[in-house]
Amino acid sequence: MSQKIVIDPITRLEGHGKIDIFLNDQGDVEKAYFQVPELRGFEKFAEGRPAEDMPQITPRICGVCPMAHHMASTRALDDLYKVDPPASAKKIREMVYSAFMIEDHALHFYFLGGPDFVVGPTAPKAERNILGVLGKVGLEVGKKVIGMRKELRELIVLAAGKVIHPVFGLPGGVAKPLKKEDQEKFIEGADNAVEFAEFSLQVFNDIVLKNKEYVKAIVSDTYTHKTYYMGLVDKNNKVNFYSGDIRMVDPNGKEFAKFAPRDYLEHVAEHVEPWSYIKFPFLKKVGWKGFIEGADSGIFAVAPLARLNAADGLATPKAREACDQYFKTLGGRPVHHTLANHWARLIELLYAAERMQELANDPDIIDPQPRTIPVNIPQEGIGVVEAPRGTLFHHYKTDNRGVIKKANLIVATQNNAARIAMSVDKAAKGLIKKGKVNDGLLNMVEMAFRAYDPCHGCGTHSLPGQMPLILRIYDNHGVMKHEIRRE
Amino acid sequence: MKYLGIDLKKPKIGVFDFTSCEGCELQLANKEETLIDFLSLVEVVNFREISSDQSDNYDIALVEGSISRRDEIDRLKKIRAKARVLVALGTCACFGGVNHLKNHFPLKEAVREVYGENSVDTGKVKRVGDIVEVDLEIPGCPVSKAEVEKIVVNIVTGAEIKFPKYPVCVECKQNLNTCVLDLEKICLGPITRAGCGAVCPAAKAGCLGCRGPAEDANYESLIRIMQEKGFSEFLIKEKLDFYNAFSGVVA
Repeated sequence: MSQKIVIDPITRLEGHGKIDIFLNDQGDVEKAYFQVPELRGFEKFAEGRPAEDMPQITPRICGVCPMAHHMASTRALDDLYKVDPPASAKKIREMVYSAFMIEDHALHFYFLGGPDFVVGPTAPKAERNILGVLGKVGLEVGKKVIGMRKELRELIVLAAGKVIHPVFGLPGGVAKPLKKEDQEKFIEGADNAVEFAEFSLQVFNDIVLKNKEYVKAIVSDTYTHKTYYMGLVDKNNKVNFYSGDIRMVDPNGKEFAKFAPRDYLEHVAEHVEPWSYIKFPFLKKVGWKGFIEGADSGIFAVAPLARLNAADGLATPKAREACDQYFKTLGGRPVHHTLANHWARLIELLYAAERMQELANDPDIIDPQPRTIPVNIPQEGIGVVEAPRGTLFHHYKTDNRGVIKKANLIVATQNNAARIAMSVDKAAKGLIKKGKVNDGLLNMVEMAFRAYDPCHGCGTHSLPGQMPLILRIYDNHGVMKHEIRRE
Repeated sequence: MKYLGIDLKKPKIGVFDFTSCEGCELQLANKEETLIDFLSLVEVVNFREISSDQSDNYDIALVEGSISRRDEIDRLKKIRAKARVLVALGTCACFGGVNHLKNHFPLKEAVREVYGENSVDTGKVKRVGDIVEVDLEIPGCPVSKAEVEKIVVNIVTGAEIKFPKYPVCVECKQNLNTCVLDLEKICLGPITRAGCGAVCPAAKAGCLGCRGPAEDANYESLIRIMQEKGFSEFLIKEKLDFYNAFSGVVA
């Protein structure tokens, strides 16, 4: 049972997704292990670098969501230097961050996770990709998606310099003020984004929700786990991606804890398993009880499903309405169905678009001085944001010159790791019987973790149906019986 | 007509990633509006980011990332043996990039810090050029898609491939940006090869030199200016070291 899987500490990219499934005498699943390569080598080589470099170093962990690391890092620097950025800087940051969320969520729905539903979970592998999606929804939609993502990326460049590895976040604010004409472009982009988000929800409604089979799959026990949920909320307990307190709800949807990011170590601890290089975060006050669900187990989830569960709704009108419909359809809060992540992601897309619209129309956006210069001596800083894939923690300790002595990062996918592992195990147990394995079953197992959109560079940016993945099946003597590879 | 040993026809192109963030590949895949035109110029036989088709038959290999494991070395050598032109794509491939910062720590310590007593196969971070012969280097963190497209067009048409010899500073001045050094930030724009459009200084962030040394750079002068501005030796060295792009060029 102690099959060891080696994952390079620096590259995630050669680390394929790995699932090891162990069968018992009857050929049924004894246990399935899922591995996500982890990224934590960066924490070591940050040591000795000036903290001001962290918003440049950490995005290079991942070209998929560099903005999330850039923003968490920038917010950690605010805290490190105990500097409160002017309202204008916070608004610019959140507006740009919203544009990034829309872009990333759209990518996932149309290119990565969506094909499972839009094309169908049991459709041939060759069709479960963006081309299959376009075949189903039409080329015009494809043009719309491409056009929207292009416009958003251009807006991000305008404010943040670059999309991949942005350069605008500084302790106390942002590097560059926006001009009136920039603001107009943001307003136009946000208007388009709201329309795009509503349209995407309509696509989901027409193709997924009107199909009873799909709805059945979403609410099926195979894809359901009752766990705790984590998400950032604003002062009214509404979802916020950029700032706020961390709120946890229990498996019944009741508030379990609410705390400032700087207190996270009082609430979150990490569990080590001998078969994995990932440390599994869990709720300290509940404790690690193994890979089990329920209120007695400290396992929690992050990302869209979790965020909607952990908050009391959304702050913008259209998204609020969509969110109400979501909970009504799925039997009230909290929703424990992993596959509902896809729907929740689109609701968040609408929220991000509306939020971007609000901020773009704010007169503060063109403040010529969007920065407060830090004057305090640094010591320790914690920054938390909601990455598209869940809550992301950056924690730095420095000497009094601001040189990093210690860095700790808890990335979104890591926060979800325990629940993902349970999901894969449950799906494998539910689907693989008497040693029978085929491509359709493999996809159904994959669907269990794809819903989380694990930030697994190779995985998230390969088209579904061809996610680089190695699945190995071992018999009760630990002898490998099957190996399925998707390179 | 031949260029770099390639007939003037639709070349087969393969894109490969090693230790990196995949940002350079994404940069190529992301700009969908020119992707179709770009793809019509070449035949992509291996590009995991955008296609599942894989083939070992290619003329041009675009290689992203630095090299840090034994199996990566083997894989890179195989690619070199097959490719007629091997292009190091991006700062990690050309210089080691941010990954090389790992080399400042004893390897054992870095592994123990992350994985405790579990052993992992990892080595010193190397450039692609440290392992195999490289025909062309396209730097940038990430690469500029416009530049890569231009270069591929040049390969296809047999035109000469030229990089600007002058520094980022020239582009920045042409764009009428406020000088980042005047904003009291360290900027390597005066010594870094142009071609990026000075995107970082335009966003009021100092250049970190991801494109490597410009050909006629005056290092002594920049270092003197930075010293005069009161930046410590530690900070200047640290910036020069960021991507490992100036090692051996500046003391």
